[in-house]
Amino acid sequence: MSATQELEFRDAIRDAMSEEMRRDKRVMLMGEEVAEYNGAYKVSRGMLDEFGPRRIIDTPISESGFAGMAIGAAMLGLRPVVEFMSWSFSLVAADPILNNAPKMLFMSGGQFGCPIVFRGNDGAGGQLGSTHSWSVEGLFSNVPGIKIVIPSTPADAKGLMKTAIRDDDPVFFLESERLLGMKGEVPVGEDVLVKFGQACVRREGTDCTIASWGRPVHFCMEAAEALAKEGIFCEVLDLRTIRPLDIGAIERSVRKTSNLVIVDQSWSFGSPGSEVAAQIHQRCFDDLDNHVHRVHTEDVPAPYAFNLEQEYLPNTRKICEAVRSATYNA
Amino acid sequence: MPRLSDTMESGTIVRWNVKEGDAVKSGMVVADIETDKATMEMPVFDDGRIVKLLVPAGQQVKVGTQIAIILEDGESEDGAAKSPAAAQTSPQSFPQSSQSASGNAFVSATSSTRGAKSNEPINARTQEILESDDARVRVSPVARRIAEQEQVDLASLTGSGPGGRIIKRDVLNALENRGATPAAQSTDTQRAGSISSSAQGASSTSHVASSSSLAVPVTPTLRAGGLVVAGLQSTEVAVSSMRQVIAKRLVESKTTIPHYQVSMKFELDRLMALREQLNSELAAMGIKLSVNDFIVRGCALSMAKHPYVNASWGGEKILMHQQVNVGVAVALDEEKGGGLLVAVIRDVDRKSLRAISSETKALSEKARTRGLSMEEMSESTFTVSNLGMFGVEHFTAIINPPNSAILACGAALKQPVVRDDQLTIGYEMTATLSLDHRVIDGAMAARWLNTLKGLLENPAALLV
Repeated sequence: MSATQELEFRDAIRDAMSEEMRRDKRVMLMGEEVAEYNGAYKVSRGMLDEFGPRRIIDTPISESGFAGMAIGAAMLGLRPVVEFMSWSFSLVAADPILNNAPKMLFMSGGQFGCPIVFRGNDGAGGQLGSTHSWSVEGLFSNVPGIKIVIPSTPADAKGLMKTAIRDDDPVFFLESERLLGMKGEVPVGEDVLVKFGQACVRREGTDCTIASWGRPVHFCMEAAEALAKEGIFCEVLDLRTIRPLDIGAIERSVRKTSNLVIVDQSWSFGSPGSEVAAQIHQRCFDDLDNHVHRVHTEDVPAPYAFNLEQEYLPNTRKICEAVRSATYNA
Repeated sequence: MPRLSDTMESGTIVRWNVKEGDAVKSGMVVADIETDKATMEMPVFDDGRIVKLLVPAGQQVKVGTQIAIILEDGESEDGAAKSPAAAQTSPQSFPQSSQSASGNAFVSATSSTRGAKSNEPINARTQEILESDDARVRVSPVARRIAEQEQVDLASLTGSGPGGRIIKRDVLNALENRGATPAAQSTDTQRAGSISSSAQGASSTSHVASSSSLAVPVTPTLRAGGLVVAGLQSTEVAVSSMRQVIAKRLVESKTTIPHYQVSMKFELDRLMALREQLNSELAAMGIKLSVNDFIVRGCALSMAKHPYVNASWGGEKILMHQQVNVGVAVALDEEKGGGLLVAVIRDVDRKSLRAISSETKALSEKARTRGLSMEEMSESTFTVSNLGMFGVEHFTAIINPPNSAILACGAALKQPVVRDDQLTIGYEMTATLSLDHRVIDGAMAARWLNTLKGLLENPAALLV
C-alpha cells in the first residue's frame, strides 16, 4: 500500500510537471506568467527556481504565436507543456492547436508526431464573464487526433498529467479554476500514473447511473447524496477523459441500473454529453427504462452576476431533477 | 357510398341509424344500404361524431359519393368542409366481393375528411394509426425485455410512465403479484434496481417508488392457475386459429349476452311422412331433403310474425333485420382437428325447401373440405344447430353474435306420446331456443316456438 500525501489540486499538477521534468530533460513549460509570477493561478510556483529560464518560459500575450512555436518544438523533439491562462484564450490559437497539432502525424505520413500538452482553466463559476468562462470540450472533442483530459480530484490531476506528458499525442488538459484550491489525498511516487480511457466509479448505486467529468462530478456526488435520502440510489461515474472515452464503463453501469443521466458543463448542442447519449442509446437500447437524460450548462453565454451564473451551471438541483425524471420519481 | 359488391354501381341509403351530432364508435352500424344484391348494414371504423349527413335516406347515389362526415376528437370542421372534391375522384373499391360483407364497409367520407389522398386509402389509414395515441402499447426497452424473458403479458399491464408507457417497475410489480420472483433478486435489491446480483453498495432502506412490499423477500409460491401441477401428465396440443376464434367469440357471447332457454317438443310424424314422400318422388332428380331443411325453413317463416327474433341488440336500439338469413352449424371432421363453422343461407324465407337443401349440402361439404369464405359465413340473423344425427335428445346452444337467438334441435325419436288422451307411439323432437333477453322476452320466445310448432306439425305450410 503506497503512501499518500494531502495536496492541493494546483500543487498536484505542479508536482506532476516537476517530476516529469526531472525525469525527462525534453519536458519544458511555457505560457503567460508561468515563470516570474509563479503562474497566474500559482500552479507553477517554484518551478522557475528549480528549472531555470530555459525550461520555464514566460511568453508574450500571443496564444497563436507561442502555441504554434511549441508545436514546432514538439515536432522537432521537445515535449512542451503549454499553459493557456484560460482555455477561453485558446480560441485565439485555434488554428495551430486544431489544425496543426492533431493532424501532424497524419499529414506527415508518420514523420512528425506532436507530443505536446496544452493545459489551463476550463469552465465557468468564477464570475469571469461570458468571454472567459468557456468549456472548450464542447468544441474540441469533435476533432480526431486530440486527447482530452478533465480531472476532478488532485490525485487524478497528478496521475493524468504524468500520463499526458508521457503521451506522444497532443493532449488538452482541462483544469477547473474553482477546483485549484481543492485538497485531496495524492499517492506518493514518481510512477503513479492514471491511464487515459479509464473511468472511475466514485459512488456505487443501483437505480440510476450519473456520468460526468471535471468539476460537475462534485455536483453529481452532492446530488447522489441528496437522492439517497429519497430512496434513489445513484451510481456516479467520473469519466476523467473524454477522448478516449470509457464507454464500456458507462455501458456496464447502465446495464445494472437501466438509467443514465449525463452531466456535462458544455452547452448541450453537439456536446460530449450528446455523444455519450447517442452511443448509449445505440449500445444499451434494450437495457434502458427511459431515454438518456442530460444536464448541461444553459444554452446562453455565461452570465456575470453570481446568482445567474450559479443557475447557469449544471448544478446539483438540476441533476436531482433529472435523476427523478429519469427514474419516474418526479 | 362504399362498393359493397363487385357489380355495385350505386346504392340507396335505406335508413340512417344516426343523426347529425350523434357520437359514433368503431363498429357501430350507421346505415342500412340497399345494393344491387341485398340490403346490408354499414358500420364505421372510427370513433367520433357525425357532423353532417350529406345524402338523405331513400336517395340512390353512385358508389364513391360522399355520404357523411365524421370528425374525430380534435378535428375541426373547416378541414372537413374543404375536401369533398377528393372523395369524388376515385371511389374506394374493396378487394373482392367475399369481403364486402358488412364487416368491411367504410364510410368513404372518413378518409377525405382527413385530407388524405383518396387514391391511396391504405397509406392514409396507416398514417392515422401511427399518429393515434391509443394505437400501440408503449413499453420501455428494458421492460419489454424482462416481460419477454419472464413471460409477462404486456397487454395485461397498465403503464405508469408518461403516455401510459409500461416501465421496468410495472413489469417487476406484475411479476411479484404473480407470486414468483425473477431469478437473481435478493432482499437487498431495490425495486427498480438491478437484475444482476451485484448490489453490494445499495442499502436496503425502502424505496420511495410506488410499490408496496419492498424489502420483504418474496418467495415463489405455488399458485393454482398457470403453474403445472406436479404428477399430472399432459401433452400440449396447439390451438388452431379457428379454435382460437371460436373460443374468443363464444366467451364474448356467453359473457355479454344474457342467455336464457325455452324448450318445446314437436310432433314430427306428419313431417317425417311428408319428407319420405317427397324424397321418394324426387329421388330421380337427386333431391334428398333432411329434417333440418324443414326446420330451417320453418324457422325462417316464423320470423314474419315475430320479427324480434330476427333482430340484433344494437346498444341503445334493436336492429330489426330486413332479411332472414339462417346460419346452419356445420361440425368439421375430428380427424382434421374438429371445429365448427356456421354456413349462412340467405333469404331463407324466400327459398324453397329444395333450394335450402341443396345449398345447405353444398356449403356443408365445402366447409368440411375447403372451408368457407367470409361471405358464406357472415350476416346470419338466426342460427340453427342440430345434433339429432348423433341421437342427442336435448341440448342448449350458445348464441352466435350478433344473432339474438339460436335453436338447438335434438333427434326426432320414436317416443311414447299422448294423443287424444290415448297413449301411442309418435316421432318427437325437442328443440331448445337460447335467447338474448335484451331483445326477446320469454313470452315472445314462447309465441315464436308455437308458430314454429304450427308449421312443423302442419308441414304443408312449409311447401307453399
